[in-house]
Amino acid sequence: MAMTYKRNAAVFAGTIGIEEAEALLAWLHDHPKPKLDLAACTHLHAAQLQVLMAARLPIAKWPDDAGLRNWLKSALSVP
Amino acid sequence: MMPILQQFLSEARELLQSITGKLLELEKAPGDPELISHLFRSVHTLKGNSGLFDFPEISRVLHATEDLLSVVREGRLAFSQELADRLLGAMDFVALLLAEIQAGAGGGAADAQTAVRLAGSLRELIVIAPAMADTPLEPGSSGDWPAAASTLPLDAVPEVLRTAWREAARAAEPLHGIVYSPASDCFFKGEDPFHQARQTPGVVWHRVSAARPWPPLAELDPYQCALRFDLVSTAPRSALDEHFRYVPEQVAIVPLTLLLLDSAPAAGATAHDVPHAQGGEDGPHARGAEDAPHARGAEDAPPDTALLKVDQEKIDRLMSLIGEMVVAKNGLPFLAARAETVYGVRELSREIKAQYAVINRIAGEMQDAIMQVRMMPVSGVFQRFPRLVRDISRKLGKEVLLTLEGGHTEADKNIIEALAEPLVHLVRNSLDHGIETPDVRRAAGKAVEGRLLIRASQDSGRVIIDISDDGKGIDPGVIKRKAYAKGIIDQTMLERISDQDAVNLVFAAGFSTAETVSDLSGRGVGMDVVRNAVQRVNGSVTLTSEAGRGTQLRLSLPLSMTATNVIVIESNQQIFGVPMDMVLETVRIPRSAIRSIKNRQTILLRDRVLPLRSLNELLERHLPQVSNELDEMAALVVEIHGESLGIVVDDFREVVDIILKPMGGILDGVPGYCGSALLGDGSVLMVLNPKELVLWQ
Repeated sequence: MAMTYKRNAAVFAGTIGIEEAEALLAWLHDHPKPKLDLAACTHLHAAQLQVLMAARLPIAKWPDDAGLRNWLKSALSVP
Repeated sequence: MMPILQQFLSEARELLQSITGKLLELEKAPGDPELISHLFRSVHTLKGNSGLFDFPEISRVLHATEDLLSVVREGRLAFSQELADRLLGAMDFVALLLAEIQAGAGGGAADAQTAVRLAGSLRELIVIAPAMADTPLEPGSSGDWPAAASTLPLDAVPEVLRTAWREAARAAEPLHGIVYSPASDCFFKGEDPFHQARQTPGVVWHRVSAARPWPPLAELDPYQCALRFDLVSTAPRSALDEHFRYVPEQVAIVPLTLLLLDSAPAAGATAHDVPHAQGGEDGPHARGAEDAPHARGAEDAPPDTALLKVDQEKIDRLMSLIGEMVVAKNGLPFLAARAETVYGVRELSREIKAQYAVINRIAGEMQDAIMQVRMMPVSGVFQRFPRLVRDISRKLGKEVLLTLEGGHTEADKNIIEALAEPLVHLVRNSLDHGIETPDVRRAAGKAVEGRLLIRASQDSGRVIIDISDDGKGIDPGVIKRKAYAKGIIDQTMLERISDQDAVNLVFAAGFSTAETVSDLSGRGVGMDVVRNAVQRVNGSVTLTSEAGRGTQLRLSLPLSMTATNVIVIESNQQIFGVPMDMVLETVRIPRSAIRSIKNRQTILLRDRVLPLRSLNELLERHLPQVSNELDEMAALVVEIHGESLGIVVDDFREVVDIILKPMGGILDGVPGYCGSALLGDGSVLMVLNPKELVLWQ
């Protein structure tokens, strides 16, 4: 469920656990211009959050979950 | 209160008592390694137990205590008055917390603060110890985190919000700034700081930032937490402390006062065009987010049909029910006998007996099945040894090859648990006193690498654990002289005792003192403790050793300790039970064969003088024992501390399997009895403990 990778898109859904962090990092490394779709995501582990913050990539779809959207928008838009 | 919590509390109290006692003893004998390792073990157990529950304060303090004690145990820090004071203070605090938990209170914010302070004061002592660099303590738990969090970046807050906060502050409503800097290794402790931050109550403003600038993506270690959360919350201080009670050392909470708010430079309201979550908006969504993963988790989880986790208490209940069943079943033969003798219906008696045979078989199988449920492989105990052996041998500068065999051998959970501590003790002994250093081994013409074998096997209803090493063995001569010097054996014994018997003297109480540890060539460190622990579960220890060739220890334990085999005896028109494993044999002795030696009755049994005591006398009833029609007395030969003794009774009856119930209430602690059991005819059988009876006199 949680994370699915399509050709050039990573789709986050539900709760993303810490165990996905390494795979995400590796995938981001291979795909410099990915499409990040977090629409169905409800929570992601702090380790994932770090990866996203460090990667400084645009988010294609922000989470539908308002709580998470708020947090992510503030975290990922800090310069 | 949960029964398991109840059990934890009672165990914790016992452990605390022993810890405090040991600390005090240590003050008198600061260098005693035995005491220190005992102390360490108790603290370790207590910490482990507390970890099962939601008591972060207790775990925190005990963790620090354990760290400190391990440094002391390794001799890198001397036991001092100061150290004892702080440890005792910490234990008092734990006792206080336990009392709070018992009273249903506790978990207050003040406790968390005290816990951090106490843990800090204990760790402080470790830092003083020199040469601590080789074993870093708990990376990240307290050390690498900057002492005080830097202040909240209020300048990043939009002016609109700050105006609202000023009003809140003026109205004296609670408003706190929180700087939460998770430890870099926190992911490895199963923490999710992001979740923790999101769940913070009453958040009105938040910011996530990097604790240090992000490295290029290729160099990022996603498992090292480098986040920092700045939060402003309207929740009361107590709720915040409660929320962060597991990570108090990573959080700084400051009340936001008017002064603080005003002193921040004005920030452009445009700094954040993203509308931040207000309490009202965040609330329901946060809850939704929490519910979703649970529901999903339940759907995703594969149906687990093969294994069932069952509360041990339920198994215990089954166990005691089957016990009662066995007892009730034993009533049938009585009934059959009555049918025949009292009512004279032989046919019915036979049918009852046939039916009994069926029930007997089913009950037996049922008992067996329930016992199977409680069975655990010994590998659970074994798995700690590779590490233990490695650590100890490295410390002692010895090379040891450990072989573990028969890890799949199973025994009752209680037995396995009882086994753990003695085994650790024995292995430690083997490494410490048995196996020599490489130089000595080379000089003796042995392989440089010492061998230590731990093997478990099953043998006719018992678990056998063998621990053998090819070390220097035990010199019986040294043991004999030592035992004589300590008054454990007398002059005649000294001359007559065989080497094998002499070696077994290490089990004698009083042999294990600090003095013998250093100048004894063999073992002897707390061997009586080992023996007592094994005997508590009806097991036995035997030791054989050949000087220069090695030592073999054999622990023999019952597979389970539920059903007890007792022989029923009669004395003074009452019946008593005596556990069969204490009885060596039963003999009938002609009254004429009894001789008196100095007011003591004895007989000659197979060329050995056997002292006799009458049971009536032991029970303080001044009546002579009755003999049978051939004028023979009945005597149970029992072994008490390696010596045989005949206990004269009136008559023997049958041997039965019973479920021994310990004495409770007012009778609890009456010496001389193991407990009681119900017999098939409904009568109560008191089960004697001959050892206690004799020694108590």
